[in-house]
Amino acid sequence: MNAPFFKFDMFSFDISLVVAFIIGIGFGFALERGGFGSARILASQFYFTDMRVLKVMFSAIVTAMLGVFFFVAFGWLDLSLVYYTDTNMIPQVVGGLILGVGFVVGGYCPGTSCVAAVTGRIDGALYLIGVMAGIFIFGELFPLIENFYSSTDMGRVFLPDYLGMSYGMVVLLVVLMAVGAFAAAEWGERKMAAKKSGVVK
Amino acid sequence: MKLLNFILGLDVKIKLAAIAIFLGLTAFIISDPFDNAHAKINVKELALIVQNEVDHVNVDELADWIIKSKTDYRLVDIRTEKEFNEYNIPGSENIPITSLFDGQLARNEKIILYSEGGIHSAQAWFLLKAKDFRNVYMLRGGLEEWKDKILFPKLGVNASDDENARFEIASAISRYFGGTPQIVSGNEITVSVEIPKVAPKIQTPTGSAAGTAKKKKREGC
Amino acid sequence: MMSITGIFSKNNEAVQEKVHEPKPYSNPYLVGIGLGLVLLASFVIMGRGLGASGAFSSIVATGVYQLAPDHTVSNPYFQEYVGDGSINPLKDWLVFEVLGVFVGGLISGLIAHRVKKTVEKGDRISVRNRLIFAFIGGGLMGFGAKLARGCTSGQALTGGALLNLGSWAFMMMVFAGAYAMAYFMRRQWT
Repeated sequence: MNAPFFKFDMFSFDISLVVAFIIGIGFGFALERGGFGSARILASQFYFTDMRVLKVMFSAIVTAMLGVFFFVAFGWLDLSLVYYTDTNMIPQVVGGLILGVGFVVGGYCPGTSCVAAVTGRIDGALYLIGVMAGIFIFGELFPLIENFYSSTDMGRVFLPDYLGMSYGMVVLLVVLMAVGAFAAAEWGERKMAAKKSGVVK
Repeated sequence: MKLLNFILGLDVKIKLAAIAIFLGLTAFIISDPFDNAHAKINVKELALIVQNEVDHVNVDELADWIIKSKTDYRLVDIRTEKEFNEYNIPGSENIPITSLFDGQLARNEKIILYSEGGIHSAQAWFLLKAKDFRNVYMLRGGLEEWKDKILFPKLGVNASDDENARFEIASAISRYFGGTPQIVSGNEITVSVEIPKVAPKIQTPTGSAAGTAKKKKREGC
Repeated sequence: MMSITGIFSKNNEAVQEKVHEPKPYSNPYLVGIGLGLVLLASFVIMGRGLGASGAFSSIVATGVYQLAPDHTVSNPYFQEYVGDGSINPLKDWLVFEVLGVFVGGLISGLIAHRVKKTVEKGDRISVRNRLIFAFIGGGLMGFGAKLARGCTSGQALTGGALLNLGSWAFMMMVFAGAYAMAYFMRRQWT
């Protein structure tokens, strides 16, 4: 097996758009199943009452990460041909902070807001318009912030290389961290539920 | 039996966590999934490729590509750095044979290998093929043939019109690459070859990963 | 597997007539595994992960190009999305993927009777203010996602699974930013 298939020219660009659409359907379906079409559910992550965001996100990351690792180990997937962005540390840290603030203010992230909008959430639709406005402002300001945008360029950084650990070691650490976070989330949810029922009486 | 019932009776969350940890531990034991040292080969397929000679690129083909500034391939000089610095084909990059698997080449790229003669590039071709690189070719005759046919094309004194016409074209190509066309008379073999010292200043494909990457659009989110 | 109940009730019209209550959301861990498999499929088939904000960049760049072509070409950021004009900028992988997200979300929502015209908010905020906040939040998200080279899907999910250093730093910062701001936004949600 020679994956990624597209990178080995197994199908054309036009077919890749069909693939995109199908993968998108899977993505949207999963997001809606998880409750990510509702800003209240997404936001409750940040008040420790419903930790679905963390649970879904980290189970997805762990699943895909394990899948990639074993596909590479079986020689099925050439990881060097799988695209991911270069690391520009400071802009990404600042961008992440802005995005986090936007998450709790707006209640969605771009992917989830699509699902929200299509399932009738007016705030989701407005959020999407906001996203486009933000992108427009970014584009207009780009000449001014270009230097900052491309600062601290570290190139393509693979976490195991950066940490000086083996790939398998980092995979195990991420799995353990995720399982730990899940356990903490379950415990936290029970605590919050108990506290809430106590307050309400 | 009791153990089985106990396991089946566990909450789905616990089961999933156990599977994840098990797979994580397996990953930890495998440790490094990238195996760059070993390969499995399909000998029949390779033998067939060799027999059908679909693994070659001729020097005049390559010269044509360079002149036309084609960029869909990477030209790789697998000799040592010292040899590379003395002379190399314009647009080539130096990846010594021992560094072939250091991650500079991608398995979906069109790669053309050359060495001094043909032997080293043939061996490197075999190694890359064994590692499942898709589009690997070697320059037939290597640098020797490149010098012979492209840089210093020869014409006998009593050549036919046809040969003369072809020599005209060859001379033009030769000068393009900074070479010197040779006219060889009968018995005496006075071939004064001077290898072009500096790579001629012509627009050639860089051939680097940056060059082949689509510069039109970004891939990410 | 979570959808099975939804499909069955669809087949059984009599049941569906009575049960119009939205169904509870699925087990988050199973949803996560499903999402992870979609992501893995994307890696294996396409050699790239999921995304969302990139599609909107293409849409914005196309829109700006329609209104002011010269301006777009002179702006290096929009230029990158519009390209050299040889191909429609909307004929883009992420644009089609996001179209799929809309369709997939709608299918799931319809199966579970969760499609409803409403505004998601807490009890202590007016609809108008909630919509203003949604717009501002979207704006921040759009700006931040461009600065960080991706949003929660493109960076956190994709880069997280591929163990990209920048994505992990980004992910931690998203949670940090959100938790830091949560207190000030409590009237909107609780």
